[in-house]
Amino acid sequence: MTSELVIKDLHATVDDGAKAVLKGVNLTIRQGEVHALMGPNGSGKSTLSNAIMGHPHYQVTSGDILLDGESILEMEPNERARLGLFLAFQYPVAVPGVSMANFLRTAVSNVRGYTDQPMVSDNNRPGMVGSNLMPMREFRNELLSKMDEFHVDRSFAKRYLNEGFSGGEKKRVEILQMAMLQPKIAIMDETDSGLDIDALRVVSDGVNKLAGPGLGILLITHYQRILNYVQPDFVHVFFDGRIVISGGAELAHELEAKGYQWVKDEFGEAELVKA
Amino acid sequence: MNLAGVEDLSTQRREPEWFLDLRRRAWRFFEEIAWPTANDEEWRRTRLTGLALDDFRLPTQAEAARGDRADLPAYLREEMESIDAAGGALVTEDGAVRFHELSNELAAKGVIFTDLDTAMRQHPELIQRYFMTDNVAVDANKFTALHAALVTGGAVLYVPRNVQIEAPLYGITAVSGDQADFAHTLIIAEENSQVTYIDEMVSQGEGAAFHSGAVEIFAQDGAVVRYLHSQDWNTNTWHFSTQQAQMRRDAQINWMTSSWGSRLSKINLEMQLLAPGGHGELLGFYFPSGRQHLDHHTMQNHKSDHCTSDLLFKGALRGRSRSVYSGSIKVWPHAQKTDAYQKNENLVLDRRARADSIPGLEIEADDVRCTHGATVSKIEPEYLFYLMARGLSQYQAEQMIVTGFFEEVLNRVPVEAVRRKLEQIIARKIIG
Repeated sequence: MTSELVIKDLHATVDDGAKAVLKGVNLTIRQGEVHALMGPNGSGKSTLSNAIMGHPHYQVTSGDILLDGESILEMEPNERARLGLFLAFQYPVAVPGVSMANFLRTAVSNVRGYTDQPMVSDNNRPGMVGSNLMPMREFRNELLSKMDEFHVDRSFAKRYLNEGFSGGEKKRVEILQMAMLQPKIAIMDETDSGLDIDALRVVSDGVNKLAGPGLGILLITHYQRILNYVQPDFVHVFFDGRIVISGGAELAHELEAKGYQWVKDEFGEAELVKA
Repeated sequence: MNLAGVEDLSTQRREPEWFLDLRRRAWRFFEEIAWPTANDEEWRRTRLTGLALDDFRLPTQAEAARGDRADLPAYLREEMESIDAAGGALVTEDGAVRFHELSNELAAKGVIFTDLDTAMRQHPELIQRYFMTDNVAVDANKFTALHAALVTGGAVLYVPRNVQIEAPLYGITAVSGDQADFAHTLIIAEENSQVTYIDEMVSQGEGAAFHSGAVEIFAQDGAVVRYLHSQDWNTNTWHFSTQQAQMRRDAQINWMTSSWGSRLSKINLEMQLLAPGGHGELLGFYFPSGRQHLDHHTMQNHKSDHCTSDLLFKGALRGRSRSVYSGSIKVWPHAQKTDAYQKNENLVLDRRARADSIPGLEIEADDVRCTHGATVSKIEPEYLFYLMARGLSQYQAEQMIVTGFFEEVLNRVPVEAVRRKLEQIIARKIIG
């Protein structure tokens, strides 16, 4: 069965709920499809990605998000990950003292079901992580081969997660994690931002390697340039908390030619009229 | 407890007259020194409400049922197996020696490693010279006086000059409910010697106990001492400890202290750099949970020039627990070219837990480099979201973040087996 993520008339606010950031988003992403979501800064694109993954600072006020027909709104981020959702962060955080390999082994073990057994209570030392993880050798072999495939230096396995990584390295490591976690639907939040052209090419190659019948991608971007490397099936223009136009790949080129001012002129006014 | 009781204790143990005198003098100090109150700066944040000394029994057994490893109760055997102490081990339970071992090789080199009782009989000159003379003072505070008056158990480790010991020596002090414990650790590392000592405290069962201990370390010229202290009592036990290290010319101390258990702890740690070229490292871990209260005071006392000291204390807090860290770097007028560093970081995991951090500098020399820093923070919500978005449960994510927080100190623990034990304890404490 092809998995699908359905976003239905989604409204959301940030933190205290004072300001509506999502104002009725409708979007369906199926496995095998690549969607590009383009929009100016501040239009709410990152809010959408955070809301899909369940960031606690964003409150969904109405509408729904369904994965294969089941609402995920009440689920913790880790339960969503377990169901096959993945968020590649715009700004991956550096977590002090947490090594990439150690963290990723636990993550992969959860997502692939190794840790379904309750945490082993070893006499009076309960809760030790490490008791029922993916076998070390198996994990290591897979990680190293994926690191080679996605151009991540092997030394990164032992380094602390994102600590001291360059912008390009962080994004490559995001792609690597995605390759290890094998999601059904991936949201890539401005994966292209802050990258020089070489880094952009490496990251785009990574996305293209992963794209295929088993993966649906929502590629969120401010710029058209990543679409020179990754071919989208659908392009959506996001403005003021909702999708204002959808189309095929040609829409991206139109947008590139006309600029976001055109969107503002076209849809900003409509909003004013409605108000 | 009274003076007659102190005298009885000494008589029962058939101690030499000079030691009885020391106990008598200490008892007088104990009686003279007032109980600390909130008016004492050092006790402003730590109250002794609920402590009644009469609730606890003095150790009764002067002679213990010594035996092999196999004769030890399971909980002590398990502890023993966690560290490969090829050099020697000393296990005491309620003040009495249960197990003792010193390798023939080390004994042949003149290393002394035994309990205080035996040491005062077989090596009186050593104890007379070093025991609570110019390191930890008998009258330093109410609890050191009580300790000296009632001291039982504990280890004496003497390393002759030029003897370098690779494998750690290991001491376990176990105490059961209702017991008062007064263990003493005395380490003398002579010129150019090297030694590692692991000093652990564990409870037998969950009953409340009382510990008033002292640790004295002498690192003579060029000596290297690694001292790893772990306090893992149950959370009903009272813990008072005064620990002091003296360092001579070019001596080095790698000192690690970790506080996990106890209902309330009041710990004073001081390193004294007495001659040029000394280097002292002091690492600290603490992780109170529930209603535990852990109070550490540190002093990096630079009495001589060209010495360095480096302190890093990290604590995480759960539940309604409380921690106090206060630290001081003192640099005397002639201690030029001092390089001293002090850092305390706290990670507060629950809303009702509270950490106080009070760093301090007292500098009287003008050509020195002294830096200090203190932080109290919560778990960064963005760390938690990132890890959970990748599939980690909240518990796993918190465990990673907390272990990661301690990683900076864990990486500096000089004995791998101790590091592994600390990681296990941290994982246990995260549950609360």
